Formats: sequence, structure tokens, C-alpha cells
Amino acid sequence: MKAITSFEQLEGYRERVKAAQKKDLPSVLICFGTGCQANGAVAVAEAFREEIERKGLKVDVNVGFKTTGCHGYCENGPLVVLRPKDVLYLKVKPKDVPEIVEKSLVGSEIIEKLVYKDVNTGESVAQYHEIPFYKYQKRIALRNIGNVDPRSIDDYLLCDGYKGLARALTMRPEDIVSEVEKSGLRGRGGGGFPTGTKWRSCRAVDSDVRYVMCNGDEGDPGAFMDRSIMEGDPHSVIEGMIIGGYAVGAKQGYIYVRDEYPLAVKNLQAALADARAMGFLGENILGSDFSFDIRISRGGGAFVCGESSALMRSLEGKVGEPRAKYIRSVEKGLYDKPSVLNNVETWNNIPVIIRNGADWYASFGTRGSKGTKVFSLVGKVNNTGLVEVPMGISIRELVEKIGGGVLNGKKFKAVQTGGPSGGCIPDSEADLPVDFDSLTQAGSMMGSGGIIVMDENTCMVDVAKYFIGFLVEESCGKCTPCRDGLPRMHRILSDITEGRGREEDIETLTELCDVLTCAALCGLGSSAANPVLSTVRYFRDEYEAHIRDGKCPAGVCKSLITYSIDAAACTGCTLCAKKCPQQCITGERKGAHVIDASACIKCGVCKDVCNFDAVRVE
Amino acid sequence: MGANVQKNKIDVKKIDRIIKGYDKSEESLLAILQDFQRAFQYVPEEGMKRLSRAMGVPESKIYAMGTFYKALSLKPRGKHTCKVCMGTACHLKGAGQILETIERELKVKRNSTTEDGLFTVESVNCVGACAMAPVVVVDESYAGHVRQSKVMDILDKYK
Amino acid sequence: MEKITIIIDGKQVEAVKDQPVLMAARENGIDIPALCHHPELESSGGSCRVCLVEAVQGGRSRIVTSCNYPVRAGLEVNTSTDQVMKIRKGVLELLLCRVPDSEVVRGLASKYGIDEPRFFKDEGENNRYKCIACSLCTQVCEDVVGVSAISMQNRGVEKAPGTPFHKDSQACIGCGACAYACPTGAISMKDSKGVRTIWGRKFKMAACSVCGKPYIPQAQVDWIVKTTGKDRAFFDKCPDHR
Repeated sequence: MKAITSFEQLEGYRERVKAAQKKDLPSVLICFGTGCQANGAVAVAEAFREEIERKGLKVDVNVGFKTTGCHGYCENGPLVVLRPKDVLYLKVKPKDVPEIVEKSLVGSEIIEKLVYKDVNTGESVAQYHEIPFYKYQKRIALRNIGNVDPRSIDDYLLCDGYKGLARALTMRPEDIVSEVEKSGLRGRGGGGFPTGTKWRSCRAVDSDVRYVMCNGDEGDPGAFMDRSIMEGDPHSVIEGMIIGGYAVGAKQGYIYVRDEYPLAVKNLQAALADARAMGFLGENILGSDFSFDIRISRGGGAFVCGESSALMRSLEGKVGEPRAKYIRSVEKGLYDKPSVLNNVETWNNIPVIIRNGADWYASFGTRGSKGTKVFSLVGKVNNTGLVEVPMGISIRELVEKIGGGVLNGKKFKAVQTGGPSGGCIPDSEADLPVDFDSLTQAGSMMGSGGIIVMDENTCMVDVAKYFIGFLVEESCGKCTPCRDGLPRMHRILSDITEGRGREEDIETLTELCDVLTCAALCGLGSSAANPVLSTVRYFRDEYEAHIRDGKCPAGVCKSLITYSIDAAACTGCTLCAKKCPQQCITGERKGAHVIDASACIKCGVCKDVCNFDAVRVE
Repeated sequence: MGANVQKNKIDVKKIDRIIKGYDKSEESLLAILQDFQRAFQYVPEEGMKRLSRAMGVPESKIYAMGTFYKALSLKPRGKHTCKVCMGTACHLKGAGQILETIERELKVKRNSTTEDGLFTVESVNCVGACAMAPVVVVDESYAGHVRQSKVMDILDKYK
Repeated sequence: MEKITIIIDGKQVEAVKDQPVLMAARENGIDIPALCHHPELESSGGSCRVCLVEAVQGGRSRIVTSCNYPVRAGLEVNTSTDQVMKIRKGVLELLLCRVPDSEVVRGLASKYGIDEPRFFKDEGENNRYKCIACSLCTQVCEDVVGVSAISMQNRGVEKAPGTPFHKDSQACIGCGACAYACPTGAISMKDSKGVRTIWGRKFKMAACSVCGKPYIPQAQVDWIVKTTGKDRAFFDKCPDHR
């Protein structure tokens, strides 16, 4: 491939790629996201390839065939989309493939058993974009994901890829910054700092060398949108970074990717190589004076490296410890040079903002939070996966309309947002619009966009303990409050969940929270109080039930619950008795079984295997 | 550490080959250590020492990195690594009970290796596959919607 | 060095721009307790969190560590507001949990009314003796001595200084700068019969040709000669007899 050295050449190349595509070609898109691969997408793709060949249909001539990035609806993978009919098949197995090819690809029949069925109404929907999970979404950040093969730069070009870059290079750098400012884009990684402002501050610092960086160290448990973007649409991130590099005057960019995301690393590496070969990276990009390149750095499995100053230390090849941020990284960042660090989703939005203009972008969302946001809707909800909606949609809409309500018809209790830095928002506040400021006001935060749905069987004290336990493990150990305070908070929470809670515990926890918030060195410690404070604020009665009555109302905390078998529901199938590791369940075949509570270790195996919902937890 | 874990004889040439593949820059240190981890299933002391000499970076600094980053293990691991995801979604859907089951059945504590050296069992903080919660990852293969009563079937395949 | 006027505890004081607030306060006779900061080490500080003060700048007030908060025009600092005292006390209580054996931390905590922490103390396996993991020792070793014989290892509660691989550090010259820098006396260094023992390694001491007293590890002499080109004969005599 010869490098492209002018805008005309780029458009000429794009036209040639377009012409080579047959427009109404029936095509099969198979999701190759991590979720679908885990559910067997590779075997399904193989089956399609074989079947298409066996039938004498030729791939790329009369049938298109493509493996794509994540469609987001991971719950139901492997996902297969048929174009141009826009039919979505769920949970496809290799044995379904011949039927799909015969009936739906060659013919035009819909295979009923493979289409989406609404859990609540039972109604089936075959059209991809009509499924409630997709219908209410507005996909800007996820614009290409599921449509393009992440390993194909041509695919990206077909979706107007690198048009934003071409436009940017005709603009003055300061005008790009103004455009980004005008769009109202705020950092998608957590804090929600206005992106344009950050760029402007970086430009304002006098220096020969500047850096741009992409934070792909997505560490918030329960969030995976950055993974999906890096895996499914790597060029969008790269294009955004090139534009950013041009705007702030950087020649070198870095992408810091979590070690836990091997596919993201692979796809980004391939995309960088292609972009370099085509002349989008390197010297004199598209014939301009601007030269820029990007390096990938793999993280080392440390949550704290998602914090900006720790990330930069890690990039420099050091231990990822944060530093005081009294001097901001736009002044002194990587190698003490002015640096811009934005997260994956932020960078991914830049090319479309430049291509379509700030006004277009700002027409979505709310006054203070413009545009759309990708959320990972997970936990106890029917439709889990990645959803992108305009800012300002309510939590309830997200959970009920898109998520299809709480799993198994249980009662909705709360959502947790913002990972370990965020908090829980209860049912009573669920009409709150989801945007940066509303979530912060409610004692949580946007974070990177994980929305974890909790139901009546979720214990909020256990949730607080979970997050504090997470942070104990991830604390870097540099500052006293975080290193020595979190284990003490964890001990108190453990005491409460294990029946040793004391009346003054809530007060003591709040005091420790105060020390963490005011005195911790970095964001990991200073926001660590949120999971505790928000659950105390909205679910104080649950804490009190543990402390005063020795009860876990949600039936989660092991020390405070007992397992028993409902004799009326038990059919005497003996399965639980067989599986019990303690062998403490007895009963005749076809007779009600009984658990010997004195030997029971509350492992939960009996409840898991029971097909008749006869095991009770109280 | 399991008694039967074979201390692989460390191939010094392999170490040097990995180091040679990178720029002589501190920026490469973490990547090289990760390559050691992949090549040897852990980061051998000899590797850190040779890296120190090759890069002119003090041993103490390389050792500090080795002990800080969780992706690096300074002790040999088992033949297979079984990671139980402890992300929020997995936690809510019973990941704790799944991990306990594995610990009980394999007679091993989390973040250690079975007596026969076959499995290293680790709890990890979110592998980013939340929609399939709860998730268990054996080597590079993801299993989603894992049930407590079925998790041993997954591991049995590696025995 | 640009001098500017800032306000500390209501008093107008002169300070150097970008100098840490802690230094500016001390130069003006205002005491702020601090453990992990060393005036000679630019990279030190920010770890123990004892030196917290309230900084008001641009109408915004927040709690910051004075050891690394830079003096800038328009800054107003309050070193002992109710909130500052409360949070500092909280930090000291946590430090006391970590190092109940440290006289320095005990003394400081006691000044703030804490003789016994409310929380569990690090004992048994977790007892890190008197080490508050402030990393002054490793910073001195790297930035002043220049050998990087020790480093901060592990993370979280396990964080502590040590030699690589927990073995004798070949880079160590036995100079003892780490032990002198330690604010809590947590590093053991013993000189006995011409031998210094530190970090588990023994160093032969060179003796003064006048008084005969062993006063410097031979390895340290070698290091200084090698790196500075100083005449070896200079070390024949101890500082008292040069």
C-alpha cells in the first residue's frame, strides 16, 4: 500500500473502495467481540464459511461475510446480522448455520426460534433496529461497531473514516480547539472535565514538546465500553488522537491499554500499522507539515493506573504511583511536559465532532452534558450489554425501556454507577436524568459509565464492603489514608456483615470517609468514600438491620442467614443432596429433603442446583 | 506453592531475545516484563537481572515494578491459570460462591497454585465481560454465565 | 527566585514563588508537623499526609499537603482550622495503627489526643515495625547517593522499602543515608568492631589513620572515588582529623 499524500488521493481511494463494494449484496455479519467469542462465535463463523462454500455461494462476490466488533448485546451472543434485511439472530449455534443460509440468506424466510423475544410481552422482533435494546439508542461513539471489521481500514474508510482528520488538517489548530469547546464534549473517563478547555490549557503552556495520551486502562468493574471501542473500532480512537495531536501541537501519542484486554491490543496494533502504511501516521500526514505517531503501552494490572498521574508514571516505565496534582498534567504531565490525557470514548467522539460540526454534537444531551454516553448496563437486568443514549435519559428509562426491566421479575432496588468511585442510587431517585452533574449531586458519579442494576436480593452493606475490599487490593500504598484507612473501613464493614456490628459503627465509618475524602493523595482514595456514604445515605435501615437485629434483609450475608428447604416445593429429586459438599442434606427419594443447619456451610450449591426453587434463604 | 511445580530451567537466550526486541528505553520495561510473564508463566529473577544490565536500570527499580503490577508474578505459576472475575456484575451474580467452590474442590486458596501444579487460581478485578456475568477465564478462554454447580465441569476439561 | 507575599494563619509573610508552603511556613516561624518531607529532596513528601493545611486560592478552599503545595500569588493558608485538626488527627490515628511501635508517631498522635487508636493495629505478620512507607529512604538512596540499592516494593498495606529479590543488594555501599533520613528510625544500622550491618549486609569500615576509629564503609569510599574522582587519600582521616 502506498502512502496517501493528499486529500484528493484519499477521496480517490475511498471512491475505489466504495466501487469495489457491491451495494445490495446479501451479507452476514458475525460479532467477534469477547462476549460472542466466548459463546462460540468462532465456530459459528467457521460454519458459515463452510456452508457458503459448500453451497457454491462465493464470499465477497455474491455473499458478503464479515466478522465485526461488539454489537453490545453480549447477553445473547453469538449475534448474527443479515444484511440488507437487517435481521438479527441471537444465540446462534453452528448447527443453525445451514438453516440460516438456506432459509434466510438464499431465501427470505425468518427463523422464528432465533429471533429476539421480549421477556415481558413474549413478542418476537426480527428487525435488528426494532429491538427495544437498540431502538432507543443513539449511536455516535458506537457508530461503527458491529458494522465494520476492526481489522480492515477500508471498512473504516467506507464509514467516512479519516474524513474528520482531513477536515482538521485544513483548519487552524486553535479553531479545532474552539470547535471541541463549542461541542460541549466532557471527558468520558469519569470526571467530566471539558475536553476543549483541557486542550486549550495544554496549548497555552510554552513548550517544544507536548504529548497526547489515550487512557484505555478501563478499570471500573462493571464497565467495558472502552474495551468494545478499542476492539471493535480502533481507527476511531486513532483518528481522534491524530486530530488532538494536531490541535495541541503534539508529535507523539500514547495509548495505554489494560493488560486484561488482549484483543484490544491486537486490534489497535493492527490498526496503527495500517494507518501508518496509508500515511495517516508518520511524517507529513496527508501531505501536510504535521507529523505524528502513536505508541501502545500495555498496563500491568493495576487499577490505580487509570488515575492520570499514575498512568503517566507507568507509561514512563515506572511503578504506577500517583503524584500530587497541584500542578496539572496539562502543564507538567508525561516526562514533565504539557500533556493531554483523554479516555477512549472521548477520543472516539472527536472525529465525528470535527466532521459533523460542534452544533450537531451539541444538539444531543442536556445543557451541562452534551452528546451521548455509552453505558454498560449490567447486573440484575434482562437485557445486558452496551447501550448508547443521549445524556439526560433517566435511570428508570435505561433500566426499564432498554434493559427490559429487572431480571426474573424481581423488585428494582438501586443502580450503582461510577465504579469504586461512585455510589448507589436508589429506586426513589431513579427518575434522575443521567448526566455528569445530576449523578454527582446524588452522591455518585458518572465514572466511565458502568450502570449496575441491583434487585431486592442485593445487600447494600455487602456492596459497600465489596467496593472497599476492591480498593484495599488496588491501593498503591503511597499515602496513609488510603493504605491504612481502607483496611480499617473494610474491617468495620466485615464486622457488620458478620453480625459483630456496633451501634457506633456507622458514625465511625463516616469519620473515616471524611479522612479519606480530604486527605488521600489521589482520586482513588479521595472518592473511595462514595460507595459507603451513598449506601449509608439511602439504605441506612439496612445497615441498622445488620447491626441491631443481626439480620441481612436481602439474604446475602452468610453469617446472618440460614438455608432451609420448603417441604411443599421440594419434589424429592435428591439433586441437592447429591451435590451438597457437606453431605448435610437428607431425605427420601420423592420425599421432602431437610438441611442439617449445624453442618451447613452456606455455600449455596443446593439453591443453585434446585430446579423447583425449593431452597429458602432467610 | 505446590510442591510439584516444576521450576522450568530458564532459557537465558529466550530472555535476551525478548529484551533485544525492544528499544533501549525505560518505556519498554513493563512490556518486556510482560513478555517474560507470557514466555515463562512468571517473571524469573534471572530475567530481571539481565534486563537491569541491558537497560542500565537498577535492579531495585525493576524488582519494584515486578512486585507492584498484578499482571506479573514472581513465582512460577501452574500449568493453567484460572481467573475468577470479581467485577461488580459478577459479584452480584455469585462470583464469590463460584470462587469458593473452586477453592473447595481444588483444595487451593485464591491466588495460589494447586498441589499438583495444574492450576493457579486467581481472583481478578473485572475482565470487562460483564454482560456474561459471572465469568471464569481459563488461560485465554472465557466462560460466561457460569453456575456454581457447573464450574468444575469447565475446569475438568483441563485435567 | 521571585518573592511574593502570601497569608499564613492571618499573617502576611514573604515566600518564594513555587516553594512548598511547608517551607514558607517554617521560615516564618509557623510550625506544621510533617514526617515524610525532606527539604533537600525535591521528590519527597505527599505520602504521610500529616502536614495538611487549608489552602484558599481563587476563592476555592481545599485541604492540601503543605509539603508539596506550591506558593503562588494570592494564596491564603490556614494551618489549624477545626477541619484541618480533625483530619490531621484522623491521619495520625491511622499511622498509629500501622506503627504502634514508633515513638515518633506515638508522640505526635498523643499531642492530638490519641493514645490508643480505635481500630485494629498491624501486628504479627503485618507488623512493619516503625516504617510508615514514606519512601524517604529510597529517595535518598536514588537521588542523593545515586545507587538505588533499595526501592519501595509491593503495593497497598504491603508497601515497604527493601533490597531487590530480598537478597543482599550488590548496589548498596553501606553509607547509611537511608537510616539517617528515616523519620521514624525504622531502618536498623549497627556499627560494631569495624563492621557495619545494614539491610542484612555487612560492610567493612575504613579506619581513620589518626584516631584509628572505623568511620566509613570501604565500599562507600570506593564509590565516591569512582564517581567523583576524589583522591583516595582524602579518606585516610575521619572528618574530625582532616
